[in-house]
Amino acid sequence: MSPLSNISNDQLIEAYRNAVRSRTLDIKIVNSQRQGIIGFHVPSAGQEIIQVALGMLARREDIIFGYYRDLALLIQRGIPLDKIIDQLLGNKEDMQKGRQMPDHFSFKDYNFSSIQSPVGAHLPLAVGAAYMLKYKGREGIVIANFGDGATSTSDFHAAMNFAGVFNLKILFLCENNGWAISLPTEKQTKGEIYRKGEAYGIMGKRIDGNDLLSSINGITEAMNYIRDGKGPYILEAVTYRIGPHSTSDDTKKYRVDEITDGSEKDPIRRLENLLLSMGILDEGKISQIKADAKREMDEIVEERRKIGFPDRSTMFDDLYAETLWIQDEERRDML
Amino acid sequence: MSSKTMVQSMNEALYSMMAEDDDIILLGEDIGRDGGVFRVTDGLQAKYGENRVIDTPLNELGIVGMAIGMAMYGLKPIAEIQFQDFIFPAFDQIVNQMAKIRYRTGNQFQVPMVIRTPYGGGVKGGLYHSQSGESYFVHTAGLRVVTPSNPYDAKGLLVSSVRSGDPVIFLEPKRLYRSIKMEVPDSLYQIELGKARLLKEGRSISVITYGSMVPIVENVISKNNIDADILDLRTLLPMDLDAILKSVKKTGRVIIVHEAPRTLGLGAEISALISERAIEYLLSPIMRVTGPDIPFPYVNEEIYIPDEKRILAAINSVINY
Repeated sequence: MSPLSNISNDQLIEAYRNAVRSRTLDIKIVNSQRQGIIGFHVPSAGQEIIQVALGMLARREDIIFGYYRDLALLIQRGIPLDKIIDQLLGNKEDMQKGRQMPDHFSFKDYNFSSIQSPVGAHLPLAVGAAYMLKYKGREGIVIANFGDGATSTSDFHAAMNFAGVFNLKILFLCENNGWAISLPTEKQTKGEIYRKGEAYGIMGKRIDGNDLLSSINGITEAMNYIRDGKGPYILEAVTYRIGPHSTSDDTKKYRVDEITDGSEKDPIRRLENLLLSMGILDEGKISQIKADAKREMDEIVEERRKIGFPDRSTMFDDLYAETLWIQDEERRDML
Repeated sequence: MSSKTMVQSMNEALYSMMAEDDDIILLGEDIGRDGGVFRVTDGLQAKYGENRVIDTPLNELGIVGMAIGMAMYGLKPIAEIQFQDFIFPAFDQIVNQMAKIRYRTGNQFQVPMVIRTPYGGGVKGGLYHSQSGESYFVHTAGLRVVTPSNPYDAKGLLVSSVRSGDPVIFLEPKRLYRSIKMEVPDSLYQIELGKARLLKEGRSISVITYGSMVPIVENVISKNNIDADILDLRTLLPMDLDAILKSVKKTGRVIIVHEAPRTLGLGAEISALISERAIEYLLSPIMRVTGPDIPFPYVNEEIYIPDEKRILAAINSVINY
């Protein structure tokens, strides 16, 4: 029997499988970056559990404003792997036509908004989307993910204040992985992140984002509160960035890694141990899931690599509802 | 049809557009109960309610960011930034979000929204209620930048901006808000974006200007009986290149008048466009009459803003070259 009344054993296995798939893909992308196949990557390793928990509980109509370190969330959300890989490669099938760096996704059909590089800048947009839900009387809530670094930005504070004033249905989910590139959380803020809502009349709670059950319970409680119209909510999910900030970063310059891939504290390992102890999974099944994920990721990257890059002339498209003489002329002159 | 100021014609445009389209929503500081510090939104909250004419907390990046999120998800927000001088906290939202979302998402998302904001000097506003910052925005692909110079254009351009489907920076010359009254139709009408207006036709010089400088230029030209083309750009991004070149090829002499500082002001771009494409038609150098490259001074604003004397001097030097 599942330890959570609202979650079946199959869902727990699916969550585990998706966490493993995300980790496997993460490693695959890092290796591909080193081989020059993919240009750049922001690894999500270590943050899979809070992300799959969120993906399990977010409804189809909920609008997600994620950030660039949300790979497991995308997978749990059901966004097809080929679409994810196409974006990482910036190939002809990429919905964004190769315009954004890897990990800056946008999947409107899956109610997954658009990711930018400047940290925290999506948070006021999430507030606008939540206002739309209220104004139109639509079902659903808005979910806005961000890291601990974002809590220092003006955008974060503006968004929290506006969300509070308009009493919007929005979940602010901070994936506090301990590090904003080289800056540890204790140097980011003297306060507690989950309490930053207090100044704005917003409920907050801290949860163990590396534990699936704690994550599911915390998110469920927050979502019930929000869906009941009681107001916005900020969750601080404590997690850990196992890898570097990006493929351009080296953690040795500023920290000793506290959790490593596959170690006892690795959140995926913790979930594995839980599911083993409950008899939901056995060693054979776990090995099978890992082997399947490895083969799946190897095959799909190999397959999508063969697709060519977008036609160069498309770089002048999609600036306006109708093209202007300026870009028409530049396209003509340059190509 | 009745005689209206720019404030009245824009208020009417907002009132009528909101009656037609529930997705149009207004937000900004003091725009609801107070009707805006210049009263452009006066009476609209009483008519359409506080959920549609939203008094926001005092935070410009919050206002612009919230409007962007609304626009991405089906609304057509019109945000007011109380003075263009206060827009800079929202600069990242404008340049990195509003202008780029259609492009970066491969057209999955669009951002149909307008930021209305009063700009320019002449109301004793000092450093922070007087700036002309159009160049900051014209430098950013993905935006449209529009500025009217009279009540009729203000209404038609505002309607077109809202209906364009694109993010628009709508710069309102605050000095002209109430100083000009003219006949303006009561119903909605559009003025095509990207099209300049030839206010007066002449043969000896082209005076290219826009926004707050238009009435001054008109006055100088008529008072001194100068045989000039006066071109009111109306849209600054994209500029009406055809209209500029047509006039320049006819007259061979050009001055550009704007209130914004000279360095990398629009005059620089207009001058470069003309040099690249019509230099063989020029009979004299292109001259710029602009604000100086200093902050906008409180007690000396009449010296800062291009006046009749400076404009006339430039015209004479170009004509007599």
